[in-house]
Amino acid sequence: MSMMTAAIAANRFGLGAKPGDLASIKSDPQGWLLAQLDGAQADPAPIAALPSTADDFQAFGRWAIQYAAQSADRNVPPFVLNRLRRQVPAVLKDKNGAQLGAEESVYATFKDRYRTAVRARFDAAVQSETPFRERLVHFWSNHFVVSSKKISAFPMPPSYERDVARSHVTGRFLDMLMASSKHPAMLHYLDNSYSVGPNSRWGKNPSEAPTLPVIGRMEGLNENLAREILELHTVGVNGGYSQTDVRNFAKVITGWMVKRGRSVFANRGLRGQSAAELFEFNPNAHEPGPQTVMGKVYAQDGVEQGEAVLLDLSRHPKTAEFIATKLVRYFIGDDPPPAAVKRVADAFLASDGDLKATATALVRSPEAWEEPLAKVKQPEEYLISGVRALGGPDISGEELEQVLSQMGQPTYMQPGPDGWHDVAAEWIGPDPIWKRLEWANDASIETAQTELAPTRLGELVLGPVLSEPTKRVLEGSASPAQGFALLLVSPEFLRR
Amino acid sequence: MNFNRRQTLGMIGAGSLVAAAPARLAFAQGGGNTDNRLVVVFLRGAMDGLAAVPALGDPNFETAREGIALAPVGQENGALPLDGFFGLHHWLPEFHAAWGRKEMAVVHAVASSYRERSHFDAQNLIENGSTEPYGLASGWLNRAIVDLPIAGDKGVAITPSVPVIMQGPTRVSSWSPSSLPPPSDDLVARAGFLYRDNEQLHEYFESAKAANTGMGNGSDASGFAALMAGAARFLREPEGPRIAFTESGGWDTHAGQSAFNGPLWQAMTALNEGLATFRAEIGDEVWSKTAIVFVTEFGRTVAMNGSNGTDHGTAGAAFVLGGAVDGGKMHADWPGLRSADLYEGRDLRPTLDMRAIFKGVLRDHLGIPTSHIESQVFTDSSSVRPLEGLIRS
Repeated sequence: MSMMTAAIAANRFGLGAKPGDLASIKSDPQGWLLAQLDGAQADPAPIAALPSTADDFQAFGRWAIQYAAQSADRNVPPFVLNRLRRQVPAVLKDKNGAQLGAEESVYATFKDRYRTAVRARFDAAVQSETPFRERLVHFWSNHFVVSSKKISAFPMPPSYERDVARSHVTGRFLDMLMASSKHPAMLHYLDNSYSVGPNSRWGKNPSEAPTLPVIGRMEGLNENLAREILELHTVGVNGGYSQTDVRNFAKVITGWMVKRGRSVFANRGLRGQSAAELFEFNPNAHEPGPQTVMGKVYAQDGVEQGEAVLLDLSRHPKTAEFIATKLVRYFIGDDPPPAAVKRVADAFLASDGDLKATATALVRSPEAWEEPLAKVKQPEEYLISGVRALGGPDISGEELEQVLSQMGQPTYMQPGPDGWHDVAAEWIGPDPIWKRLEWANDASIETAQTELAPTRLGELVLGPVLSEPTKRVLEGSASPAQGFALLLVSPEFLRR
Repeated sequence: MNFNRRQTLGMIGAGSLVAAAPARLAFAQGGGNTDNRLVVVFLRGAMDGLAAVPALGDPNFETAREGIALAPVGQENGALPLDGFFGLHHWLPEFHAAWGRKEMAVVHAVASSYRERSHFDAQNLIENGSTEPYGLASGWLNRAIVDLPIAGDKGVAITPSVPVIMQGPTRVSSWSPSSLPPPSDDLVARAGFLYRDNEQLHEYFESAKAANTGMGNGSDASGFAALMAGAARFLREPEGPRIAFTESGGWDTHAGQSAFNGPLWQAMTALNEGLATFRAEIGDEVWSKTAIVFVTEFGRTVAMNGSNGTDHGTAGAAFVLGGAVDGGKMHADWPGLRSADLYEGRDLRPTLDMRAIFKGVLRDHLGIPTSHIESQVFTDSSSVRPLEGLIRS
């Protein structure tokens, strides 16, 4: 195997080479990638230290009650409020004493939790010895998006990512789909927790349905999750479903909601529960009777009806094609080569959605090894690869939040449920290049990297991808720091 | 700033995005007006049109807006007067001054063709210029200016990544404020050598360099004002871009929207300051050639919700403002505020398609032929007539 193959493995499939990586993997770069898919892996230390799913969820509930009590949306006994304030002190007013809007209040209350999680995700990526696996976690997290842009999901994306993308990254697609569709974060993010079947008990007797602080009374069918499962998670927008299918599928998953404690949002008794234990099928909201989705009648009762639809969706050829296209676009090129898509889709179908087999087909695709610089790095991966190469700097969660926002990719804040878009037009242009130059300059000055000459570092992390013209510019740099900055903004480093 | 004239027409988009845009057809263009300046400001989050431009003369206004109705003109914290029927929110005094100078036209009961309630889909539909979210992969503003005879970057997005509205076949620049220290001139010069053999990166870098030369990190202004200051500094350059896009956030006022220091106050105060900053930065001469269009993805509910705010609605208000604008005029076919008048019983009913504003401004301000507008920019819009009289003739 060549150093070129090693460079592609470390930078395209991994999260960027550290000095020494290429030499240690060059004997078998593909083997190095495939070994990372073996077996279960403990959560990286920074991720393991984050709050539990139940804690993120309860924290939001505690904020919601305090906020609702302030807006006179709900009467809460003072002793309850006092206890909630001790647990999660909600920030309800700005520094001038004016009441904050819900979004501002959520942000102010949870921004430290958010920054800690952003830092943890970044550190796990920078430190990872299995960076291909880590990159796949990022891919799946952005496929089954839950974004903090929606306030009712604000604190949840980090624990959701761990429960869904990280836990199942080399498992079965069906398990990841099921975990996502039943996760409290997703049920909030795409509103299914508030969806009521028109002929369900609560649909017929709306006064019996609970009233939720901030959100209001649960009433009516909400199609959001059903639509996005079809459009974004499984068969894709051209998957052959109709608006009637969306509606029927929405009816199928009515009653899929977050378990409620005795007090709706206080969630007493939920402590320590896993995401799966926080899921509840509530027959009071469930639309009774058989439903037809994409030509098949589902006559099951209860939660099994929706599980049967998800099973069929996970095995649908359009799902295989949609997933394969996204994976190939992410790992091979903006315009996915049809042969590679077919190979990956076939592996997905033949293995019944085994994500390890699917990722293996990707690694085994010759197209992935032809063009070393096919993909423009997105802002977060650019910073990750920069810190891996330089060995620094140490970036706080607050700094990450600021820099990534200014680069247009604040972590866990995808604008919509379709996630970050993965084509060069989104991420390269005048301002992106300039921001990268500013960051590279700042990072290089902060990272007192003096043991290696810039050209040497370039050879170590880019291998033969480092071009002669770039080398000459690095060799002529006025100082090591300047040379490192130039390396990080070289055309070879902006891409992978 | 020193903008290099570069004659090549680069393509900003990736192949896939450009390919998804409609094929560029040859059309007879008279060059358009290459001296006029256009700014499009997207108010993201859905501005409450009835808060910004209250219909004080509507007999049902006060009851329909109970709890959040702006007080009449002349009362404490009352509206600022417009044409007698409509008022303007008193948190927008710079806009009111422009009205007084006959430099602001107000459009009301306007909406895009979108009738659902997702911010994201609505914004995408407005930006791509079709009648569907994701109906086209490029943006109408980019397609509109593709043949303007301007060397170099024809437009600039004052945003960290190029939004859909500015993506497409036309080469545009982008710039946004940064909190990081600026790189030294020496580093910038050396970085330039890295891109010598890469046409696309070279163009982006030269464009960014020009954009950031003399910009420092923007100005003392922050937030939206810094964006507007940036837009002004691009547009005032004799050889700079002629079209700018930027955006303001915080308009999703579900709760406590009337409160002083509340979310609407913050959004409007920032907007007001942004306009003042832009006006000061761009200078009198270029201001006289400028039109700024302020639009939002949809309006908000007429009635107050349970948390002293408003929820996602349908029709709302838009502003067309600048030295080139034929201002002091309201453009509104008012639908009324009785329950029966409301769209789905809750929202201001749209009586004008938002594309009418864009079509009017593109035609009358930039001189873009209607044939180009209807074949390339707003492809399903032949039934939407350009709004007349927005621009001084």
